[in-house]
Amino acid sequence: MANNRLRMYMRMVSGSLIRRASRLVIAVLAIAIGATILSGLVTIYYDIPEQLGREFRSYGANLIILPRGDSKITRETLSRLENLIGKNKLVGMAPYRYQTVKINEQPYIIAGTDLAQAEKNSPFWYIEGSWGNSSEPEKVMTGHEIAQTLNLKLDDTFTIQGVKYGERAEASRQDLSAQENQKRDSARQNFHKKLTVKGIVSTGGAEEGFIFCDIDMLDELIGDSFRADVIECSVIADAAELETLSSRIEKEIPELQPRAVRRLTQSQDIVLSKLQALVLLVTVVVLIITMISVYTTMTAMIAERRREIALKKALGAENKLVMSELLGEGVLLGIIGGALGVFLGFEFALQVSLNVFGRAINFQIALIPITIAVFIIITVAASIIPVRKVMDIHPAIVLKGE
Amino acid sequence: MFLRMIIKTLVRQKSKMLMIAFTVILGVSLSTAMMNVMLGVGDKVNRELKVYGANITVRHKDAALMSDLYGLTEGLGVNDKFLHEEDVLKLKSIFWGFNIIDFAPVLEGHAVFKNSNVDLIGTWPEKNAILATGEELHTGLKSLRTWWDIQGEWLNDSDSDKDSVMIGSALASQNNIHVGDSITLTNNGLTKTFRVKAVFNDGGNYDEKILMHLSDVQELMHLPGKVSHIEVSALTTPDNDLARKAAQDPRSLSPEEYETWYCTAYVSAICHQIQEVIRDGVAKPVRQVAESEGTILNKTTLLMILITILSSIGSALAISNLITASVIERSQELGLLKALGAYNWQIALLVLSEVMLTGLAGGVIGYFVGIGFAQIIGQTVFGSYIEIARMVILIVAVILFLVTLAGSIPAIRYLMALKPTEVLHGK
Repeated sequence: MANNRLRMYMRMVSGSLIRRASRLVIAVLAIAIGATILSGLVTIYYDIPEQLGREFRSYGANLIILPRGDSKITRETLSRLENLIGKNKLVGMAPYRYQTVKINEQPYIIAGTDLAQAEKNSPFWYIEGSWGNSSEPEKVMTGHEIAQTLNLKLDDTFTIQGVKYGERAEASRQDLSAQENQKRDSARQNFHKKLTVKGIVSTGGAEEGFIFCDIDMLDELIGDSFRADVIECSVIADAAELETLSSRIEKEIPELQPRAVRRLTQSQDIVLSKLQALVLLVTVVVLIITMISVYTTMTAMIAERRREIALKKALGAENKLVMSELLGEGVLLGIIGGALGVFLGFEFALQVSLNVFGRAINFQIALIPITIAVFIIITVAASIIPVRKVMDIHPAIVLKGE
Repeated sequence: MFLRMIIKTLVRQKSKMLMIAFTVILGVSLSTAMMNVMLGVGDKVNRELKVYGANITVRHKDAALMSDLYGLTEGLGVNDKFLHEEDVLKLKSIFWGFNIIDFAPVLEGHAVFKNSNVDLIGTWPEKNAILATGEELHTGLKSLRTWWDIQGEWLNDSDSDKDSVMIGSALASQNNIHVGDSITLTNNGLTKTFRVKAVFNDGGNYDEKILMHLSDVQELMHLPGKVSHIEVSALTTPDNDLARKAAQDPRSLSPEEYETWYCTAYVSAICHQIQEVIRDGVAKPVRQVAESEGTILNKTTLLMILITILSSIGSALAISNLITASVIERSQELGLLKALGAYNWQIALLVLSEVMLTGLAGGVIGYFVGIGFAQIIGQTVFGSYIEIARMVILIVAVILFLVTLAGSIPAIRYLMALKPTEVLHGK
């Protein structure tokens, strides 16, 4: 008996939907549009901090790590640090070793680094020519300032000279002849190497006065193992996260001294929170308006069915039965439209993310039940008021067409 | 007769027409708000990004960066070329002067403090001036260092503030200096005593320096009226190909290109104009700030455009959907008209005029509601009004017209295919 009633109920609900196919399309469309906007915007909203946070990394390194005291940073410390910060949080991590060298007997500073990582750290550098790489270590990049002073163009060569690590430079003595002086320069405690300009770096800052080369090449040249003077890290984190990260680094790797770059972390917090507030407010406004318009559409569609409802009542249906049938329809519409909308919305959010940030987006599984539930509530709520009105009206009057 | 029929429908079918009008109001207000926000967001975000500090520095054309690199303060190769303090205010007189938000001249100096050398930074901490144009000006380094964490108070423009200094946190802790202490600085036989008004934390190399009034450093260094560089924070348009070409060499542009470039707020164009007013100055974009600003701006604007498009499509579909639904609903009434001998085109005209009139009314209300929404967003997020773009009226009007038409067409076609008897019979 109960089974039969349920089957009849299902037939009435689905039958009424199928019979009125054109209106069904309109209703599902309305709900699906609403659900697309809801799930699309919510997905974007949840992904914004992460995605925009990455964009803010274009301002460069936000965590500078110095050795404590006179110690230097070894490769082993570097990999421990990398594990501690975590690869997925790290945009770039470039160790730097600074060495004074002579070009044409004038002092300059050459910075040895992991060029690939430095490129990730500093996307704002303008490079005339191209970035150097570790497979051609003798092709280096010079700062714009140095290139101007030494009158260097792309593919020009220059020679650097210097004293090897741990050796003392011999002062040139007055009693030596020029030849002897030259010999002294090429002695075993000194090094010299011919380098080619592969790129010229412009930044508008101090970087323009450095020569950048591969750190391994520099180590080999000065006859020392890997030792960095400083590590520049670009980490996806806000000021508070960087703070905790810094204290963790200090605790677990005591020979390091992390310093967050206040200028970047503070400013990022200010701007990012504004942008997030903007997207939140926009999302809320759009959602409220969309919900209301889905609601009005549904109300209009159900009000239209007064005649049918009245007929059912005239045939002896109880108010409760009519009500439950309409609510059942609402639930079904909510499920169909909501499910359709979730996937369209995700597709939309994905397109936005790919177009704006060039990255895929994470699908929020929780959005499926939430979206469907929201739209079931909206359709049901939209049904209640017009149906209630019908309940109060006498079937005869409605059927007569007044 | 026609007019009477329309008016009658509008009055009699009040609730249905109100429903359409309401949806139109919602849809139009949403599109209006989003479009205004979208068009205004670039400017607003650009201003927010000013917290990163200066995006242009102006130096003497012969000044080298070498002193920055080696920490040398005297001797060969060290900067002995200076800009003139009197030129600094001229920055506001350039073509894009209005886009220059903040600027501050800086004179780097050094002095002996407790038997060791310390670096001094002389600047305008705060500057209030009235320009030749009558425009009031409030600027200074304070606005360019928003990230500083200050214990005590910022230096200010007043005369009583002379002889006050701010001291970097690293230097302060090394020497155990607190706010309110006095310090004595000596350079070239000149000794002066200063009061420490604040300790600041920069998180960078300023932490080991002392920040002072420009005039004090000029006096200690015997460099009256001189500054080493000027920091400028300007609102700029993100670079494109033209700007990049111009940045290489403005002379490579054709006259038309040059005019476009000069009259657009590209960072290179602003630098070019700054060089025209600052004697011997070379203005260079600070790429870390200028370039990244462009990236963030472009991304935010693009994001807003896409959200606007989505919500506009959404509201357009919703409006057109509702119109279809409500016209179909009236099939009985229209069927009766048909049975009474009305032509199809007459019915179509009737329906269209009704819907259009309703849509127009809703659109006008919706536009103003939308402006309200835009201002709420502007006030809440950025604390300032969003400029109303006139263009939006036209765009929204055209979209609304097309949407109403598109919403009516399927309904009208449906009505035309109707057989009066069937409809009236109630099938």
